[in-house]
Amino acid sequence: MNYIVMECHSSYAILLDEEGRFLKAANLHYQVGQRVYDPVLMKEKKKKIFQPVRWVTGGAAVIAAGFLLVFGIHYYQNHLMSYSSIYLTINPEIRMSLNKQGKVLELTGTNQDGEALLEGYDGKGKDKVTVTDELIDRAIEMGFLAEGGQVSFSIDTPEEVLLQEYGEELEAEVKRHLKNRLSITIEIIDHHTGDRETSSTENPAGKEESGKQPAEETGQEQTPAAREEMPAAQTETPDPGLQPGNEASGPQTSQPQGSAVYEDTDYGTGSDGESDYSQPESQASREAEGDSGYEASSDYGDSGYEEEDD
Amino acid sequence: MKEERDIIRQVRAAREDMQAADELIRTYMPFIKAETAKFLRRSVTEGQDDELSIAMIAFHEAICGYSPARGGFLKYASMLIGSRLIDYHRKEQRHRKVISLETPLREEEDKSLGETLSDGKDHSEEMTVREATRKEIEELTAQMRDFGVSLTDVAENCPKQERTLEACRKALNYAKEHPELLEELLRTKRLPGTKLCKGSGVEKKTLERHRKYMVALLLIHTNGYEIIRGHIKQVMKGVTER
Repeated sequence: MNYIVMECHSSYAILLDEEGRFLKAANLHYQVGQRVYDPVLMKEKKKKIFQPVRWVTGGAAVIAAGFLLVFGIHYYQNHLMSYSSIYLTINPEIRMSLNKQGKVLELTGTNQDGEALLEGYDGKGKDKVTVTDELIDRAIEMGFLAEGGQVSFSIDTPEEVLLQEYGEELEAEVKRHLKNRLSITIEIIDHHTGDRETSSTENPAGKEESGKQPAEETGQEQTPAAREEMPAAQTETPDPGLQPGNEASGPQTSQPQGSAVYEDTDYGTGSDGESDYSQPESQASREAEGDSGYEASSDYGDSGYEEEDD
Repeated sequence: MKEERDIIRQVRAAREDMQAADELIRTYMPFIKAETAKFLRRSVTEGQDDELSIAMIAFHEAICGYSPARGGFLKYASMLIGSRLIDYHRKEQRHRKVISLETPLREEEDKSLGETLSDGKDHSEEMTVREATRKEIEELTAQMRDFGVSLTDVAENCPKQERTLEACRKALNYAKEHPELLEELLRTKRLPGTKLCKGSGVEKKTLERHRKYMVALLLIHTNGYEIIRGHIKQVMKGVTER
């Protein structure tokens, strides 16, 4: 095949082949009109054809990315972003950062006691009321919270409704949690306005049992002697120093014997007489009303109360 | 970064306009030379080394085939130049055993082998033919200019597929049989597309798409242009026979 050089440019030449094609080729020092035999033809790149599959997959990817982004943002705002805060103050001050769902994102101790209280505790992902309960338990255990103490919740939330809701929820929960254990004051504070609302936990029963309702109830129902004992116990408990110790030791001392102590041993054969009787005794002497029951009989263990009551 | 964007912009412009492409190639001549020299491991001289022409056409291909998805333009051009030069050298290797005409006849003599040979052709006659061809081409180019068509346009517009080429030839054949169509073409400076496709049975879309090529082909078959016509005559004969 031979070609006629039709046109020469510095970077290429146009050739006409014998079949009537006009072609671009490397200009190997050609001259117009020359016949050439072995040119280096330019390779034409095929024009990109429209590829629907690529467009479809690309479009799908874009849509998917968009969805992910939207849901991601939604998830972030609902679960990961700190939406409101509750400042729990007993003496330890703790800040709970909550997401929109009311789950705890972060716990920070804002004073030294707060840090101490949080040491070794992980409340992440738990609900605020659970964390509050657990923290109050810890506080009691560590001696920060005792009878007559105060727990205040300062709620910082952008929504008025949420403030109301959280306040009620926390108050109800703490009341429920501490019912018959401690009587404390609960204070709900609006972090923005500083509005306060206080209430206290009901604590009708004696506290020396510290939360052992079943034992207490049975005691209440049974004997008049037990009933007598109750008021004495109630006055006795508000000793803050005693409380944490009581809490810790209580379960061992009273639980196993609990009901048995009141029902049988003390009144019957009167064997142990250590815990139950020592308290009323001291109480009685403190009251100093000349209650002769003890003195007259001078015999601990059996007759003292029965005689009196009858 | 800005430089790269500039190049891409220039490349885009060059793809549309051959003039701009030539300009761009001239601007990047040092780069092309350097790439060629890197390949040959010696310096290159413009107008002497075929490799430089190959590199230039490769750069041209790079302009036409570049898309930003291929990375930086100069990297792409460099790669293309390299592979075209390799292609060229492989092709050349087949002719290795042929002695170069430039080989000195004897070591002490200045004369080269080529100068002692008579090629059996009349050089002056060849030069005359070449000159005549050149004149025809010039004339054709001038005439095409009236239609707003350049040879470069035609080369770009030329059908790539054999089937399309065949269709164009069929249309041309019909025009040759009906010289009034060629006259109409010259008179109106427009391609008588409707008549051509009706007469030849070629799809109008095909003719429209290759309008520039058809203009050139038909012009070549008007009066004059004997040499060019002679060059492509055999093929046209083939079409008529079929």
